[in-house]
Amino acid sequence: MRPKVQTGRKDTEFQAFVQRFLAGSLFKMIMISTISLNAFFVVLWTDYEIRFRLFRLLEISEILFVSIYSTEFFIKLYVDPIVYWKDGYNLLDVLIIIIISIPYALQKIKGKHYPYLNIANGLQSLRILKLITYSRGIRTLITAMGQTAYTVASVLILLFLLMYVFAILGFCLFGAPEMGDLKNWGNLAVAFFTLFSLATVDGWTDLQQELDNRNFLLSRTFTIVFILLASFIFLSMFVGVMIIHTEDSIKKFERELKVERHMILMEEKQVILKRQQEEVSHLMQTQQNVDYQSFSELVENFKKTLQHTDPMVLDDFGTSLPFIDIYLSTLDNQDTTIYKLQELYYEIVHVLSLMLEELPKQQ
Amino acid sequence: MATYHPAGCMQLPRANAIRSRLIDIFSLIEHLQGLSQAVPRHTLRELFDPSHQRQLMLGDQHQLVRFSIKPRHVERITHARRLMSRLRVRCSQRPPLSLWAGWVLEHPLFSNFIIFLIFLNTIVLMVEIELLESTNTKLLPLKLTLEVAAWFILLVFLLEILLMWTSNFALFWMNAWNVFDFVVTILSLIPEIVVLVGVTSQSVWLQLLRICRVLRSLKLFARFRQIRVIILALVRALKSMTFLLMLLLIFFYIFAVAGVYFFEGYTRSTRQDLEYHMFFSDVLNSLVTVFILFTLDHWYALLQDVWKVPEVSRTFSSIYVILWLLLGSIIFRNIIVAMMVTNFQNIRNELNEEMTHLEVQQKAGIFKRQIIQRRQNLSPEALKSSHSKTDTRTYNVTLFGKRVFAGQLDWETHVHQNLPGLMEMDQEERVVWPRDSLFRYFELLEKLQYNLEERKRLQEFAVQALMNFEDK
Repeated sequence: MRPKVQTGRKDTEFQAFVQRFLAGSLFKMIMISTISLNAFFVVLWTDYEIRFRLFRLLEISEILFVSIYSTEFFIKLYVDPIVYWKDGYNLLDVLIIIIISIPYALQKIKGKHYPYLNIANGLQSLRILKLITYSRGIRTLITAMGQTAYTVASVLILLFLLMYVFAILGFCLFGAPEMGDLKNWGNLAVAFFTLFSLATVDGWTDLQQELDNRNFLLSRTFTIVFILLASFIFLSMFVGVMIIHTEDSIKKFERELKVERHMILMEEKQVILKRQQEEVSHLMQTQQNVDYQSFSELVENFKKTLQHTDPMVLDDFGTSLPFIDIYLSTLDNQDTTIYKLQELYYEIVHVLSLMLEELPKQQ
Repeated sequence: MATYHPAGCMQLPRANAIRSRLIDIFSLIEHLQGLSQAVPRHTLRELFDPSHQRQLMLGDQHQLVRFSIKPRHVERITHARRLMSRLRVRCSQRPPLSLWAGWVLEHPLFSNFIIFLIFLNTIVLMVEIELLESTNTKLLPLKLTLEVAAWFILLVFLLEILLMWTSNFALFWMNAWNVFDFVVTILSLIPEIVVLVGVTSQSVWLQLLRICRVLRSLKLFARFRQIRVIILALVRALKSMTFLLMLLLIFFYIFAVAGVYFFEGYTRSTRQDLEYHMFFSDVLNSLVTVFILFTLDHWYALLQDVWKVPEVSRTFSSIYVILWLLLGSIIFRNIIVAMMVTNFQNIRNELNEEMTHLEVQQKAGIFKRQIIQRRQNLSPEALKSSHSKTDTRTYNVTLFGKRVFAGQLDWETHVHQNLPGLMEMDQEERVVWPRDSLFRYFELLEKLQYNLEERKRLQEFAVQALMNFEDK
């Protein structure tokens, strides 16, 4: 047991070492190869022949994989037991470990011929989802898609409500026990399936044919209205909503990138400027031969070396002719405004002084 | 020179920026520390020369080199021009063969001829396939001409590839379209060679390879610029969707393998009336079935078929199918559509960006001309009235007071709108400054900032004084 103090952990060095190991590329390589091998084996085991012949390999590899996954779980838990549960991908790991243990638990509890055992085996294919943790591209994609999840969910709920209304309507209209089409509209669940089949416009003409054979009024209207609403309007709305959200998230992503880059650039520029100023002031302070009072005195000697015939070719904006023209024009503008203001002030003062002179006269 | 700002005065950011620019251009810090010349005196070519380089590095203690880099828009330099400026070519007696080959390839007559041949190839192939089965003896000369034409076209294509090789062997392989051309031509060449050598036709493979003749028509794609643009746009869109497609593949895998296990009962059932019996038998079939469900084809029929078998639990099978339909067919397909749309929009925006860039350049050019005109209009009048200050003021007042620019904007807003465009403009013109003038310019600019600041403060004092008049 590791000793744990309230304020911190005593085994900080080891913890740091384990953390470094977890972040390193060796660990990633191990995990990625393990998971890919596991996925490949899961595919192999679906075939009965291979399962029969390579039974021992199957068992050994299974033990190996389970041990690797649980080791990873324990190591990550050891590094930080509390923060561990906040990361979604760690929860995914825990879920997969639980899924792995389901077949064994079921076998133990319910015996070997439990009919739902193959479902538990089928869930083993979910192990490949662990691969997502190690691929940054898919992670960003999922975070981007996750933001559209809310909209997707609301559209789906709306669709479900619509189907509910039409299911009850259809059941009442076409599902009556005697004359009705029991196979497709007999109970609510089957009605739902029929409506879903209409919404995805797959084989709906056959369903419509059955209703036609029983001479229902309104069946055609019902079907056509539902198909227009669900398939054309709703599912197209789906596409539209996804397009807008994908655009938004991509734009936001790019904007954030740009802002980040801009900030980094600004910071670097500030650092360079500060360094320059520090060096200049440092220079000014350490001059002991002659006491320079200002920057200009400091560079007096340098200025003397400058010759008029030495050319300097510059192409940045601050020394270009358009800039000089613009700046001088703006300065002239400023000058005129200030002169105008001055005139106005003189006038104000003049008027006030006139008023002041008139005052005693009135009195 | 005395101090031009009292010590302890506030630091103006603009003045500081100007001073740091001065320091940067003249490399004052290195100079004051007694280190280097700080004037750019060497060119890149000298630097690459080893002896000169050693000399330079030894002279400079820090062994630092400062580069001045300016991005320029260089127009495309063709290979022929590069060749022409090589000493080896200029000093040889006869021009090299690659120059001639390049000239032939660039010539419009030749490229049109190739396009015509590609069309002819397609037509010849179509007619040949139609006539393949007929045994009409009158058509025999026609068949002969078609065969000869096919051979001729193949030879011309080979010749074109040889020309490209003589023109520039290395560059040929770097262009993906050329490699595609090469592969297609070789693929259609192989069956002919095999027939010539005399190997009795292993019919299936040879037929397949003959069909590769058809692929020659695909060479057309490389010729027309529009098609190239569309294909490039498609490739870019696909590239940005790689992760999405990877995620989709992962989901395909999950549902395929799960499907094999879930429908084990259905596969092993002994009922005779199951239509889709083998659809979940092993992983490959399951994968195809998952794809069939992805395209929403007969999914309800499949589900109802599965329900016929009592061993399969209805809930789990319906959950499987409905979940896959929602996730794969509805959500994923729409995500793919959405990403395609955004990608095409981005590509279109990028193309538009180039156009807007050009427009901004034009506007900046117009702005520049306006400024220059303004200074020119101003200077003669300023010279005229320079003797009297009030006159200048009034002149300036009349000139600037009523100055409204095209578009009814005042000077400030006009400048602010056009300044970014001007700053980003491609500076093709460089200004040559004499060194001391440049230094003086920066000095004066810095002083100017402080003076302006002082004037502003005096202004505020005046206003304050005015406001403080009280009525006593």
